[in-house]
Amino acid sequence: MEGTTVESLKIAIFCWESLYAERVGGLARAATHLAETLAMSHEVHFFTRGWIQDQTIKGVQYHYCQPGGNNMVEYCDSMSYGMVENFHRFDKNRKFDYLHFNDWHAVQALHILQDRNTILTFHSTEYGRNGNQFGDWWEFKEISGKEWYGGLIAKRVTAVSATLKNEVMQLYNVPDWKCDVVPNGVVPREFRAEIDAGKVKQAYGIHPFAPLILFIGRLVYQKGPDLLIEAVRKVCQNHWDAKVIVAGTGDMRQFLAERAKDLPVNFIGYIPDSEYVRLLNACDLVVIPSRNEPFGLVLLEAWSAEKGVVASNVGGLSENIDAFVDGVKVEPDPDSLAWGINSMMDDPKNAIALGKRGRKKVDRMFLWGPIGGKITETYSRVVA
Amino acid sequence: MPALSIGFEVHQPYRLNRHFAPDPKIKRKDLLNLYFDEINRELLLRVAEKCYIPATTQVLEMMDAGFSCAFSFSGTLIEQVEKWSPDSLALFEQVAAHRNAEILAQTYYHSIASCFHDKTEFTEQVRMHANLMRDLFHADPAVFENTEFTFNNEIATHIKDMGFAGIFTEGVDRILGWRSPDYLYTCRDIPVLLRNTQLSDDIAFRFTNRSWDMYPLTADTYAKWVAQSSGDVVNVFLDYESFGEHLWSDTGIFDFLRHLPEELSAQGVSTILPSKVLADYSPVGTIDVTETISWADIEKDTSAWMGNDRQRAAFFALQTAHAYSKDKQVWRYLQTSDHFYYMASKFGSCGEVHSYFCYLEGEDAFKTYMRILADYEERNIRTMKNRKAAKALRTLSPENAFHFASPAGYIGYTAYNLDQFCELLHIVPRDSIQHHLERGDFTFWIRDVLGDTHLAESIKECTERQELTNLVCEWRERLWSHLK
Repeated sequence: MEGTTVESLKIAIFCWESLYAERVGGLARAATHLAETLAMSHEVHFFTRGWIQDQTIKGVQYHYCQPGGNNMVEYCDSMSYGMVENFHRFDKNRKFDYLHFNDWHAVQALHILQDRNTILTFHSTEYGRNGNQFGDWWEFKEISGKEWYGGLIAKRVTAVSATLKNEVMQLYNVPDWKCDVVPNGVVPREFRAEIDAGKVKQAYGIHPFAPLILFIGRLVYQKGPDLLIEAVRKVCQNHWDAKVIVAGTGDMRQFLAERAKDLPVNFIGYIPDSEYVRLLNACDLVVIPSRNEPFGLVLLEAWSAEKGVVASNVGGLSENIDAFVDGVKVEPDPDSLAWGINSMMDDPKNAIALGKRGRKKVDRMFLWGPIGGKITETYSRVVA
Repeated sequence: MPALSIGFEVHQPYRLNRHFAPDPKIKRKDLLNLYFDEINRELLLRVAEKCYIPATTQVLEMMDAGFSCAFSFSGTLIEQVEKWSPDSLALFEQVAAHRNAEILAQTYYHSIASCFHDKTEFTEQVRMHANLMRDLFHADPAVFENTEFTFNNEIATHIKDMGFAGIFTEGVDRILGWRSPDYLYTCRDIPVLLRNTQLSDDIAFRFTNRSWDMYPLTADTYAKWVAQSSGDVVNVFLDYESFGEHLWSDTGIFDFLRHLPEELSAQGVSTILPSKVLADYSPVGTIDVTETISWADIEKDTSAWMGNDRQRAAFFALQTAHAYSKDKQVWRYLQTSDHFYYMASKFGSCGEVHSYFCYLEGEDAFKTYMRILADYEERNIRTMKNRKAAKALRTLSPENAFHFASPAGYIGYTAYNLDQFCELLHIVPRDSIQHHLERGDFTFWIRDVLGDTHLAESIKECTERQELTNLVCEWRERLWSHLK
């Protein structure tokens, strides 16, 4: 927003992963890009873990700590103490204006620094990660407890979608006034490449003109790969030449491979980013059959590459797709999914048009610049 | 009753030589034959025969009878008709001398220079065009029409500062909102004439469309539509080549044109020249154009020239070529918007429009363009002070560019010069960079292609993306400071 970011702020970001050191999943990308965006007009310090020297990249000062512990919860507490120690070293001359925490890992640090201007961003909840179910084991309770406590003491909370905001409000009693929705962003160029689709397909033994459906994600219940396999069975009745590539791995892989024995589905397992870019730009359709999806970054990545998307009508996917304008929304069940895939493959020209409009939406709503502006707006609403 | 202001854009580019291959033996004076296609002459003769001569003959007759209209000739067109079709030029001279015609200003090279970061080149080309119009036609254009109506606040300010009385642009819905394009507006204190998209496209695109419910369009229907407008003046602006070339004469387009004046007067509509519009009407409001708009396609923005990555790569390379442009002429020919139009990868209805105009596919067009730009820069290095820096920063042909890959193959990112290489180091997936680092590809490329042994040596030991990026980007800035 114009006018709101005139003064340069000093911002501390706490996140347990980052692009240039320890990196686990999508959170690293989101937190790092946000930090880099903010660093264009503010002083940004990024507190994270890593076994390397502190460094400054694109204006962001990274401070690493080296945690340890016997289990996830202990490990994260240890990390939090390390982060706070680093934080105090840089809080001396000029005090930090805002402290921005990501997910539950650093809630212990949030606890210690709770008198400051704190913001907690939810990228997902333990309940959602567990497939919209409560767990009865101690880690589940511990982590949910930390999420509740973080939401309680943080001065301001953001969630990456309205669905997640509702979830957080219901699970953890975070009041409506305290919680903003700030979506994730994307750097479209990282996913858009000019590539000969036919050649990439051939590398997988697929005919250059055969329509290729891509699934990417962990092979776990939450992401719904089993729904896709069952849907493919129906799609093949209409499109004998359709091919599917399933990228990613997870505990369902064995089961899925068994189910897909007689289907044109290729499980390629974990792929490096470069292979993802190649496949994403070579495929004809991206399918996101998730049962629960707080945001759904794959959607923005597919749109960046101007690909048509068939996605479940859940969570962030449901909010961000305009049905038949920039994608097709279906119910998370095989019949509905098969119908959606067929409707796209019957009319490839339309699929391309939807993908192009998706890209336009990305350029309009999901670039990091405007999203950084939204975050600073949230900062300014912090009531200490 | 509104008046009708009708204008024609008359332009031909110098199309690039599709079969270009670098040939060091060719002398500088023969370069134009090497870079530009022989087909230009052929195409010009065809357009002259089908459009310029018959259409202009007819328009002259109409103007004798009181019909008035405006013409905007690009400098590259004038050069071509001077060389190859003196008959057309003679007719254009008659037009320019006619009391019912007005000559408009544009950039000499029909260029995209107005989108450059630095506007001095744009200003220079507008001046060159004004000089040409004065020398050739004894005309002193007062109203400006930018390439494909490209327009924004900044361009408006520039044109006002150059002393023009008004400027044309597209009546884009999202800029106007509820307002009608059929009035005079101002933008940054310069009067703006807005093209009526609907009535212009009725002729240019829908005239031959048999599935259009108004097909076939006749002059009396069209005159009625114009008369129905509640505004002050309807601006219709067309590619002149619509008459006879895009729409062949057997479509009836010439009959349509011939009967237009009488049908217009039957409806009580008079035709008016742009400068007269500025004198007779006062602006009814202001428009604020922060994004860049144009008349192209349905998007009405610059996506026809800068819509995909290869177009953007070419556009940035073209701008950096300024440092190499001792011989400005070729550099300026390369700025003509058509080259970028040919690289488009659009689809659907506007894709069909594109495919008609495009004589080679987008990818080929892009490769040809980069090969020629690379050759042009290479030839100019000899005359530059710091040849080493110039060589390291020059734009490369697709054959010499750096294509990022993974063990599985090309991943779709290509750096055509060191600037783009720096930018891509931030974008390209980490595993691809790791792959090249392990093989030493970066070092080889920088040493053997860019010829920068210092940089090649210093990155030899790099193992991490960040370290590499810092070294390369810092060194690149140093090199540029040597050139400037």
